[in-house]
Amino acid sequence: MAQLISLMIDDKPVKVPEGTLIVNAAKKVGIDIPVFCYHPKMEPVGMCRMCLVEIGRPQIDRETRKPVLDEQGNPVIQFGPKLETACTTPVSEGMVVMGMSDKVKKGRQDILEFLLTSHPLDCPICDKGGECPLQNLTMEHGPGVSRFLYDEKMHLAKHYPLGDLILLDRERCIQCGRCVRFQDEIVGEPVIGFEQRGRSLQIETFSDPGFDSYYSGNTTDICPVGALTTTDFRFGARPWELKPVASVCSQCPVGCNITYNIRREARAGGRYVIKRVLPRQHEEVNEIWICDKARFAGYQYAESPERLTRPMLRRNGELVESSWDEALQVVAERFKAATGGLVTYAGGRLSNEDLFNLKQLTEGLKGQAILKSSIGGGVLVAQMGVAKGTDLGKLGAGDAILVIASDLQEEAPIWWLRVKQAADRGATLIVVNPRQTRLDRFATHTLRYDYGSETATVLAMINALESKKTRLPDWLAKYRPNRFQTAAAKAFAGAKNGIILFGQEGMDLPRSQELALACANLLFLTDHLGSPNNGLIGVWESANTQGAWDMGFRPSTELKEMFSSARAVYVVAADPAGDDPSLADALEQSEFVVVQELFLTSTARLADVVLPVTAQPEREGTYTTGERRVQRFFPAIPAPGGVIPDYEIAARIGERSGLKMENRAASLVFAQLAARVSDYEGLSYRSLAETHEQWPIIGRDDLYYGGTAYENTQGLGVQLMPSSQKRKIFQVNWQEPPVRVSGKGLLGVPITRLYDRGATVTPSRSLASRVPGPFILVNETTAQKLDMHNDAPVQLMLAGSAYSAMLRVDTAVPESVVLVPRSLGIPLSELQPVDIRVAETTPA
Amino acid sequence: MLKEIVRGLSTTFRQIFEKPVTIQYPEVKRPVRPRFKGRHILKRYDNGLEKCIGCSLCAAACPADAIFVEAAENTDELRYSPGERYASTYEINLLRCIFCGYCEDACPTEAIILGDNYELSFTDRRSAIYTKEMLIEPVKPGGKPTPQKVEPGKFTRSIPDMQDPQD
Amino acid sequence: MSTFLLLRHREIPNLDQLDVYRQHGGFEAFQKAITTLQPKEVTDEVKASGLRGRGGAGFPTGMKWSFIDNNNWPHYVVANADESEPGTFKDREIMEGNPYQFLEGVMICAYAVQAQSAYIYLRGEFWQLAAELDKRIQALEAAGLLGDNILGTNFSLRLYTHLGAGAYICGEETALLESLEGKLGQPRLRPPFPPSYGLYGKPTIVNNVETLTNVPLIVARGAKWYKTMGTERSPGTKIFSLCGQVNKPGNYELPLGTTFRELIFTHGGGLKDGRKVKAIMPAGASSSIIVATEEALDTPMDYENTQKVGSVLGSASVIVIDDSVSMEWVINKTLHFFKHESCGKCTPCREGTYWMMHISDRISRGQANEEDLETLNDVALNIQGKCLCALGEFSTMAVVTGIERFKSDFELRLAQNANPESPETVLAAVD
Repeated sequence: MAQLISLMIDDKPVKVPEGTLIVNAAKKVGIDIPVFCYHPKMEPVGMCRMCLVEIGRPQIDRETRKPVLDEQGNPVIQFGPKLETACTTPVSEGMVVMGMSDKVKKGRQDILEFLLTSHPLDCPICDKGGECPLQNLTMEHGPGVSRFLYDEKMHLAKHYPLGDLILLDRERCIQCGRCVRFQDEIVGEPVIGFEQRGRSLQIETFSDPGFDSYYSGNTTDICPVGALTTTDFRFGARPWELKPVASVCSQCPVGCNITYNIRREARAGGRYVIKRVLPRQHEEVNEIWICDKARFAGYQYAESPERLTRPMLRRNGELVESSWDEALQVVAERFKAATGGLVTYAGGRLSNEDLFNLKQLTEGLKGQAILKSSIGGGVLVAQMGVAKGTDLGKLGAGDAILVIASDLQEEAPIWWLRVKQAADRGATLIVVNPRQTRLDRFATHTLRYDYGSETATVLAMINALESKKTRLPDWLAKYRPNRFQTAAAKAFAGAKNGIILFGQEGMDLPRSQELALACANLLFLTDHLGSPNNGLIGVWESANTQGAWDMGFRPSTELKEMFSSARAVYVVAADPAGDDPSLADALEQSEFVVVQELFLTSTARLADVVLPVTAQPEREGTYTTGERRVQRFFPAIPAPGGVIPDYEIAARIGERSGLKMENRAASLVFAQLAARVSDYEGLSYRSLAETHEQWPIIGRDDLYYGGTAYENTQGLGVQLMPSSQKRKIFQVNWQEPPVRVSGKGLLGVPITRLYDRGATVTPSRSLASRVPGPFILVNETTAQKLDMHNDAPVQLMLAGSAYSAMLRVDTAVPESVVLVPRSLGIPLSELQPVDIRVAETTPA
Repeated sequence: MLKEIVRGLSTTFRQIFEKPVTIQYPEVKRPVRPRFKGRHILKRYDNGLEKCIGCSLCAAACPADAIFVEAAENTDELRYSPGERYASTYEINLLRCIFCGYCEDACPTEAIILGDNYELSFTDRRSAIYTKEMLIEPVKPGGKPTPQKVEPGKFTRSIPDMQDPQD
Repeated sequence: MSTFLLLRHREIPNLDQLDVYRQHGGFEAFQKAITTLQPKEVTDEVKASGLRGRGGAGFPTGMKWSFIDNNNWPHYVVANADESEPGTFKDREIMEGNPYQFLEGVMICAYAVQAQSAYIYLRGEFWQLAAELDKRIQALEAAGLLGDNILGTNFSLRLYTHLGAGAYICGEETALLESLEGKLGQPRLRPPFPPSYGLYGKPTIVNNVETLTNVPLIVARGAKWYKTMGTERSPGTKIFSLCGQVNKPGNYELPLGTTFRELIFTHGGGLKDGRKVKAIMPAGASSSIIVATEEALDTPMDYENTQKVGSVLGSASVIVIDDSVSMEWVINKTLHFFKHESCGKCTPCREGTYWMMHISDRISRGQANEEDLETLNDVALNIQGKCLCALGEFSTMAVVTGIERFKSDFELRLAQNANPESPETVLAAVD
């Protein structure tokens, strides 16, 4: 516990821990010291000189080392000759800080006068107007007139594109360096920086494509002027015309808290439209950061004109529009008739309420609830997941994080950021991956394995521990660890807290189940279960995959058989036909296919009934993050007429089939859910909406301090307790992984990329140029052997079919391996031998 | 008593020869005073470019929330106003408007002014919403209508040097 | 007895060759230090000598060495050869004529603070000098005076040269360290100071070339001997880079405490065309300008007495200005310099130097009035006390003292019409 220091700021007594900066100490008692370059999440630099205050310290007698006292017995305070910056000076005992004296006020006025000399008169056309720290601080502290002549103003590039997503206005930039320091310190990818010097100091990007970082959008939040703005919100609306609505990102399992800003738009016929996405502060999930996918793609799909709005029935081989009554009746009758032969195939995009109702329906009709997921282990995560109270932001020296089989920045960017920062704070980071990823630079231990041997690696690490805690199976002995694995295992065991994240790199269902089990066993043997900051996290493919597991959905390796033999297939928020042509064939063989979707996907095209649904920004619901935190999202925009939320459709089908289900409101469904799913016991929409004060204080009137992220007033969610924490059950099963013969030739490996062609990403206007066409990655040796070069169009031969793709050379790829990103059109879902041929020149 | 009646009636009779103060509206219209606040006009520059830059300051200043603005970006092929930004949607709800003139005071480019037209009537609410096409003034001789195709780099500054206001 | 401590090559020809230097007692001090003295004893000797930093700040050198953090390793020594102050050209002559004494100073300093690597940071324009120094370092390595286990002791040392890229700000010690690390040359926050957190975050001693060149003689002949020259609080000799409108501009090595009059008239040969001294800038462009009264000319040049005439000795690049020059023109020059060299990190210097330069240009062109002069003074005063490093602060010294002490020059300029021959048309080509 750090020592508390007492000081006075503007005649207010303050008591703060040692090492607190004066700016932050002042915030604690409600005094706002203006800053530009300082940001509470970054190291101070003292560049802008806006926070200059008068600081007085008690005069210390050189001999006695005690404060000199005056006649009244008060310490004599010596004020420094010059003003000092409050953002760089830590507090000291007995300090007296004057933030309101004439000298300080004149200082602030002078600095603002300097900043405004070359700052252009852009307020009416600048997107930041209305939420601009420079505007606000000028009103409060600045001079009324400028003595600078317009003709002498420096003219620099306006709307200079730093990549496609961010625009830089070099005239407005006040050279505070927050963007550069954010990319350097927090993200660790310095793709922007200063160039030239003096008044000509300007921001430039050093990457191609420009500003090549998944976190680029965050710089527009922290920029104190309108220098960095996003292209999607350019001239969109004035901040005071926007209404904020709290929500949760629907793209990945981190569950970043976001705020949609909505406004009625004439272009949209007077409807409410989402104008932009900003982060919402949640220190335990995403702090105040969101990745670019959330910012630019997370909602644009909802506005796509391709949205389905009317139910459709297949008549005479064609899909024709029909009414809800008719469609639901057809579905209910066929489902009832298919009792015992129903397969519900649901994706992780659905909310807990939807999944609960779908499960009720499926169970009531004695069907099977199948989850669309390439990776398994969700039940293990429910048992051995991170305990309630886990906060990646609290990990540091003495803690360990093990990341296995995951390209974390592509799969869950904000977890990558939090893990990287934990490593910066001294946490032992063990990265176990077949190839180099962007996490390796921060790793304490890096282990490599061949694709397919991830479980073997973990078992070897278990072996290295030589634990006596439980009887280890005999077959474990043949997994002999090398010295790197031993060192890593011992480091993980020796840490105070340990978290394991397992991801999607080269993963398929059976392998990931084995891996999850092995990881759970490792956690058990190292006593890293059952308490906060310990446990297992699965880096799922969708936002609510964990919720789907919790609601009782399970993935299956026998999809083809299930689909072809099912009497009815109910596909919700998934596109199996689009993912894999063999699944399309299987679906064709089933008797009855219902698709409940946003868009007319490939599966919808071969369905018998198509039901249009409400999108996530248009309704209420909850998501469960990969750290098992349940969070609420709120409706931002009205749904297009004719659509119904998934939970309601499921309930109405259920009712028509003779089941009693809740269809009126999501909160009511959640109440049922909380009553029946044991882990969710005691939760309610009210408890999910509770908040507490977070530090640093961001999102109130002083937006110069933290940026334009929103304060979280609508709910911090509740983190669930895994069974390992609740009942201290640590079941240790051992499962020897089967021996799989690896073939010769090229091995196709599925990996994940952040920008893919998923249904909710492709409609995004902003990311359109960054969403790639199908491509595969090989290393130079493989390319040479194939006699091919970078960016060559090729055909990937997979299970007898050919898929067009671009060949790209990447040095990190191991030999004889072909990396195939998922969701780009090539249906590789497990490690499989592949072949590459030159593309035919005849057009398709 | 007769004297009083005659005196009264003579006042009445004298009125017959007084010049009437009645103005025969609508055939004769009294000119409005300077600074009269009538219907809004969105002004143009002499070369035809619109003065309005879509900044929404008028909407922000309006005490009756009568103005709705949406902005968009100028390109040199399709230029509506000098600078980067122009108003793609500009609507005033004349039933809400109280003709206070705050919008005119707030405008940084002297684009919106309250003109002399007071002859406004509507038969339903929808027709009280005046769009940009109805509010923008016609192009002066010598100017070209917007959108214009211009040389790149010519009109880079959104906000001009302001002159003293005239009526 | 040599009249020179530092510019000994003026008496001894070919002193820039290693064998000649060794013949004249070269590297005896270094040998004495590493074989017979403890590092702390070397530091104490330098402390006792009262040697003060010659780069401009005048901080006691021995005291700086003693501040080095002995809990954090490794240590580094960096020689600041980024001689960019206008009017300063002393380090160049040392490195050209007497390089081995300088290198020996670096090596003794490295021994005193127990550094195994020392860097010589030269301004980018000194690429030829750097190449020469590289050759000399190689010669020292060949002679066994650098490398591992020098002269059989367990002291190892390697020297490296590094070129800057044309920035005056990289003469500021923390900006120098940033540039040496390969980053943008902008000063760091101080505290912490380089002896605790320097190059790559390790304790580093940054000293000027001239300072280090004094060190071998102090170690060889002792602190007491050193204190016999100069004044009590500013001992030793100093190289004064006399320039401006004197007949014999150049480097003059004289004991500290020599008067301006002696330097300018006895050694510098007086002013050209018999003109009178109007102003003296003792610290190059960063000076507070001294009005050349008789009293001022008789002021001894050391770190204390210059303060009495409202100035600071600085790096002793004494620029002499005669009465044919308008101070307004001089200040316009200094402002152009500072605007060009400002690193841009902190607001007052970045915006203020730019603004001051523009006002000064307008004054030069005759397009300004009394109010603009007021503004110029006010802006300069607003910059003072708010900057991150000394560049910003010192950029205002010439302006404020110039306006205060030479107001008539400015007023004369304001009254003149626009002059087509004015300096900023020349400067416009530069900027």
